[in-house]
Amino acid sequence: MKKAMVFSIEEFATYDGPGIRTTVFLKGCPLRCEWCHNPEGQSTKNQIIKSQNGCTGCGRCVKEARFVGKRIEYTERSIEVCPNRLLRYCGVWYTSEELVDKIGENADILNASGGGITFSGGEPLSQHEFLFECLKRLKNKTSRAIQTSGYCDSDVFKKILSETDYVLYDIKLVDEDAHIRYTGVSNKKILDNFKILVESGKEFVVRTPLIPGVTDTVENLNGIATLLAENQVSYIELLPYNSFAGGKYASVGMEYHPSFDEGLRPQPHIDIFEEKSIQVKIM
Amino acid sequence: MTERIQKQLQNLKSEEYKSRRSDVTLDITDDVADKTPLMKSALLFRANLACEDPIILPDDRIGFYRSKMVGATYEGENSINVPKNIIPDYEMMLTKGMDQVRSEVVEKANSCDDEQKDFYDSVCLTLDAALEFADRYRESAKKAGSEELYKALCQVPHKAPETLLEACVFLKFIIFTLHCNRNAQIPFGRFDQYMRPYYEHDLKHGISREELLELIEEFFISVNYDGDLYPGMQQGDNGQSLMLGGCDKEGNNVFSDFSKLCMEASLELKLIDPKINLRVDKNTPIELLEFATVMTKQGLGFPQYNNDDIVIPGLVKLGYSLEDARDYAVAACWEFIIPAKGMDIPNVTALSFPKIIARTVESKLNECNSFEELLNFVEKGINEECDKVIAVAYSRKWEMSPYLSVYIRGCIESGKDVAERGAVYNNFGFHGTGIATAADSLAAIKEVIYDKGIYTKEELLEALSLNFEGYNELRNRLLSCPKMGNNIPGVDGIADRLMDAFSNALKEKEDIYGRRFRPGTGSAMYYISSAEKVPATADGRKAGEPFGSSFSPSLECRLNGPLSCIKSFTKHDMTEIINGGPLTMEIHSSTFRNDEGIKKVAQLVKAFIDLGGHQLQLNSINRDTLLDALDHPERHKNLIVRVWGWSGYFVELERKYQEHIIKRTEFMF
Repeated sequence: MKKAMVFSIEEFATYDGPGIRTTVFLKGCPLRCEWCHNPEGQSTKNQIIKSQNGCTGCGRCVKEARFVGKRIEYTERSIEVCPNRLLRYCGVWYTSEELVDKIGENADILNASGGGITFSGGEPLSQHEFLFECLKRLKNKTSRAIQTSGYCDSDVFKKILSETDYVLYDIKLVDEDAHIRYTGVSNKKILDNFKILVESGKEFVVRTPLIPGVTDTVENLNGIATLLAENQVSYIELLPYNSFAGGKYASVGMEYHPSFDEGLRPQPHIDIFEEKSIQVKIM
Repeated sequence: MTERIQKQLQNLKSEEYKSRRSDVTLDITDDVADKTPLMKSALLFRANLACEDPIILPDDRIGFYRSKMVGATYEGENSINVPKNIIPDYEMMLTKGMDQVRSEVVEKANSCDDEQKDFYDSVCLTLDAALEFADRYRESAKKAGSEELYKALCQVPHKAPETLLEACVFLKFIIFTLHCNRNAQIPFGRFDQYMRPYYEHDLKHGISREELLELIEEFFISVNYDGDLYPGMQQGDNGQSLMLGGCDKEGNNVFSDFSKLCMEASLELKLIDPKINLRVDKNTPIELLEFATVMTKQGLGFPQYNNDDIVIPGLVKLGYSLEDARDYAVAACWEFIIPAKGMDIPNVTALSFPKIIARTVESKLNECNSFEELLNFVEKGINEECDKVIAVAYSRKWEMSPYLSVYIRGCIESGKDVAERGAVYNNFGFHGTGIATAADSLAAIKEVIYDKGIYTKEELLEALSLNFEGYNELRNRLLSCPKMGNNIPGVDGIADRLMDAFSNALKEKEDIYGRRFRPGTGSAMYYISSAEKVPATADGRKAGEPFGSSFSPSLECRLNGPLSCIKSFTKHDMTEIINGGPLTMEIHSSTFRNDEGIKKVAQLVKAFIDLGGHQLQLNSINRDTLLDALDHPERHKNLIVRVWGWSGYFVELERKYQEHIIKRTEFMF
């Protein structure tokens, strides 16, 4: 049985699809979006993270840590000795059976509300074999959603789609060069898979993060609106950039240096969508 | 909100009215020297009213504001034992009018035994004093040109009201006079039930819904005056709970448009009083829960949800008749009591589960070869502690309170004061504080000692006695054991056993007067005050640190989320432990930011009801705001938070309560 590393299970996720949902965040992502607010979801390696709030600077964890050059790597002992329990492994290994058992416990509440389970990440499709097992196990138990960048091979996407009830699909940038610059990968697969999604007849919603000066430009939003209109999609959710995005970097020993101006207000340009009869919801 | 209401809110918040108060102390020791206790109480009431000068506020139609900080007194007066925390029979008084009530009492006085004469004479004296005071108020209203208040007082309290305004004035008069009778923490009971006839009367007579909403808002504003004079344990703890919805004596749902109007009024005003409670059940429409969630969004900490599907059968098990159980409301915080019929003391004291665990572990752990043996000692400890709290109940003696007796059914009929078991129900209730801390402690001991043998008993006992000094890692290990609130069968099962022990111990203790002892899940202030005396516990809690508030996870528990939390706290058969005490959950204010979030929180409430939870209280909290309010109280004068069974202004709370609230938000959802 496949195992995968989960970095968070969020009960009562209110913005990850219809009804009350439990969202499973799978670790590992092929994209490196500049604005990523889940830095612990990027690496497939398990990391020890240290919460900065409440640290008295007693130094016990550092004494038990290893140093890789200048970078500090905490150890299992560091976790044990912290008097304020500020350190923990951010990933937990699960088999699909264990995971489905755990999240299935609340299926009654999820189903009563018209909700279900959402797989997010990281990029859930980067662990697609594990994901497929989970989705199959959850069939007829509860509604199954994935929240994805759409970045994977088409065959994989089709296979996952066959066991999925609802898709939250990210479209960030329509221009390929910009996509490479800001996320590290081309958007070709993403746009191809979007067509597959539309043709599949599955229920889905398109989401675009509004990053000031990057994705919220008239040009980009126009491109997205055109893409949607061409595919007869009449609804989009816009997620304004959250200035707390950088909040978790320090705890995973990373630094946050976006090239865009965080202080600018994201511009939703609702008129661009309305012109094409696309309904907009700002989340 | 109308301009008129905006202006009245400004008047309230300016606190200008407080400058009209003066201090006066009237010593009536000589007047009461040779009087009976009943007559003493009546005379003190009369003297208190005599001290009051009617205050007529500009543009106010409701009236009855305190003019004196302190009233009359006599040597040996004991205000601590004056009956409180019960719901008077507003409905009876509103329906009859005070003149008719008085004439019924006079009739009784004329035909009673000598033994009861003193009681009826005392009651009569109080009614005369109350009416005389109302007359004085009426004349002052006339003189001040307060036309509408004057007109209302020409009808009430002498005669029964016809209009909603008259009913509001009458109700305010009742509450005012009971406060002058030193009866603290007087809740409103089922306000939407006994006021609804007057609302419908006015609608029928062409008064618009908007006008009546304005009137109810005026009434709600008016009960926020003088709250500082009745502080309870702290500012805000004044007992002004108000129940909406529920069913009638036949079990039919009675939530009406007027109930909804009361919610709208509270929502617009955003004031701490009255504290809205909502009776709900499996059939409550989701739209109502969504509207209630919009109230929660305001951050006032209400409504508090009370589940009829659990509370009513629970009360029946405690010996209340089905009809009466269907009429339940809450006392000052969350205690389920029967309006007009219950002279229950639902908050005698608290049984502290962690205290019993700490004591048992310290003295018995060494000799227990299995976890079950330890658990048996704990159960025995709970049983013994129940005897102690019952002794406390018996030591509580009420002072005579003839004026209050008018409002409690059974007293006038039997000629007995409420203090002498004149009411229909005279039961006692106990809070059960720290249930999660206790269950977590036992679960940790089971894991690290009995199941896995990670530590020896000696090591654990040593660590506990040293308050974990030098035992950091051991403490971390304890903290990582299963906790109540994460839907883990083992630890939830232990909580089950503890609650059963509490219920079973009290079940057998019914006394010769038929009085029952009610086990509960509330904490009142005991989650802090009792915790201060409890040494370190095996869940990893350090000595003196607080427990969770009421029926909630411990503060150290890292929670999976609200779904698991609800599951943990609805597993037990809550009909067996029904004195009251809510599961309290903090939800981040951002969850409520749009309709979708509101809908989902409402579905969460619905899940709680469907799973058999008894009482729920949700708080919408923004931790950053609270932290800022600690440092800059001047910027957050209107920040309201739920404390235990009541809401208060955050900046007015004692520091340790502020800190507890902030701590509660560490692992919130």
